[in-house]
Amino acid sequence: MADAAAAAAVPGDAPAGTTVLDSLGEDITRIVYPVSACMLLVVLLVSLLSSPSSPSPLSASIAAATGGVSGGGDDDIPTALITALTFVVAVTAATFLLALLFYLRCTPCLRAYLGFSALAVLLVLGGQVALLLLSRLRFPLDAVSFALLLPNAAGALALAALAPASVPIALHQAALVAVAVLTAFWFTLLPEWTTWALLVAMAIYDLAAVLLPGGPLRVLLELAIQRNEEIPALVYEARPVDPRHGRNWRLWREGTQPGADLDARSTVEVIGEVLGRNLDANSGNSSSSHDNEADGDVSNSRPRVTLVAAFSSSDSTVAQAGEVSALPEHRVAVAEMSVPLIQPRPQRSGEEAVEDEDGIGLSSSGAIKLGLGDFIFYSVLVGRAAMYDYMTVYACYLAIIAGLGITLLLLAFFRKALPALPVSIALGVVFYVLTRTLLEEFVVQCSTNLLMF
Amino acid sequence: METRVAGVPEDEESGLLPRPSSRGPRFPPPPASWATVDGPLGLPLEDAEGHARRFFLWGFACLPFLWAINCCYFWPVIRSPAASLPSTFAPIRPYVVRSAIGFTIFSVVLITWATTFIVGGEQLFGPVWNDLVMYNVADKLGITGFMG
Repeated sequence: MADAAAAAAVPGDAPAGTTVLDSLGEDITRIVYPVSACMLLVVLLVSLLSSPSSPSPLSASIAAATGGVSGGGDDDIPTALITALTFVVAVTAATFLLALLFYLRCTPCLRAYLGFSALAVLLVLGGQVALLLLSRLRFPLDAVSFALLLPNAAGALALAALAPASVPIALHQAALVAVAVLTAFWFTLLPEWTTWALLVAMAIYDLAAVLLPGGPLRVLLELAIQRNEEIPALVYEARPVDPRHGRNWRLWREGTQPGADLDARSTVEVIGEVLGRNLDANSGNSSSSHDNEADGDVSNSRPRVTLVAAFSSSDSTVAQAGEVSALPEHRVAVAEMSVPLIQPRPQRSGEEAVEDEDGIGLSSSGAIKLGLGDFIFYSVLVGRAAMYDYMTVYACYLAIIAGLGITLLLLAFFRKALPALPVSIALGVVFYVLTRTLLEEFVVQCSTNLLMF
Repeated sequence: METRVAGVPEDEESGLLPRPSSRGPRFPPPPASWATVDGPLGLPLEDAEGHARRFFLWGFACLPFLWAINCCYFWPVIRSPAASLPSTFAPIRPYVVRSAIGFTIFSVVLITWATTFIVGGEQLFGPVWNDLVMYNVADKLGITGFMG
């Protein structure tokens, strides 16, 4: 068996000489690193900044906004369920609105909204977090420098998040992770039952929206497939493993103008072929087997689906200090970015918008793409676990990464858009409960009897 | 020694994921150097000059971080001395160099001011220091209250 494998790996025809096993590990690593970094940053922020004992004005505003079933501000199950339900309804409505806008080809509105929400998150939430850090650490930065640095940094990061072609890839990825960290930290400020109800509700919504025939994400996906367009959204795209598949190389090699019909087809070889590219083998011109993938074969491949919930029109401005009014704005802003969709994306037409969205998928350059909403909700789960103890953090982290791995496996297997939230959230919640009830007891007993630690 | 049958995978692992059937001609060698720090994944050369100029000009709108992004993105253009640059980089280089100078000036001024403020403290500034420190300003304006 080893001989056969070695003999099979020998063939000198492939210039890359790589098999899927060589590059798949790297691909997965490149998506696990940023997810882990996001979770780590949220855990750090939560450890530094949270004071779970005092009810925050945020929870009071939520209770007020949802009609305060149990007398406002209390953290109990009915309020939590109502809040979670309200959020899911808002996200569904926003997604349908997004689908409508996409159907009407209002791409500038969508991009403007994306820009607005990214800038709002970075400026407002980023400023808040920075101020909290300065206060907590008593770092004597002066007001002038702060006023100079904050809008600058927010603007630069927002630009980096929205225009990946103009900034270094590392900065673009860092900006997306920053947006996710800030939004996730904001979510961890909700009361405990509300957070857990929200996570479970979003996982169920994700599952329904992507897989059910009437689900908003599925509608969006089918629209995008039909038109062979990309939906503008905030999506994290891992750096492709083989840079020779990059757009620049291709253009240099073929001496064509950017924006021509050639798509960046470089994908991880095996997965790319799994997507049915080898079925289109027809061309003799391109020097890579990826170019065989014709633009036209839409039915075989599915574009990525981005879950970008459209923002409802009557949003209050961010500048308002009112918590209640700011709440739906942030709610929608989060919904905007949350794309619990994983999609394989085999092709991309040259003139389309560059933003990609949603869940796990394969980009035109073959790298794995994961929606920002997944980053956010994973980090919310781990951040909430951090508010209890570090033991739950470790357990939930491992559960989420395992869920992510399972989802990637399913993605390679099914080759269509998949929701990234359900498996990880389910595992995370199960392990959180198990750790709190069983493992903690065990560890405490061991420690008091001097058996461990 | 098994006979090779066309279309049949040669090893056990490739059942689910088929190998590429044909690789086609090899990739040509890359150009001598790429303009951007991302290399083959970055901006194509035709767009680079316009991009560098745009970032340089927008940096004057009180956005010095755009200058920093410009320098980082076109690092290969700055790194090599002017004599040994490929001719294709020549239009880009002035903008990138000026962005670097602009960002250096900005950061020197800012760091000097911030360090003076932090180290000097009340002895240097007097009671004004307490009015300028950010956490006091934030408390006074009440803007940390939103997130509790």
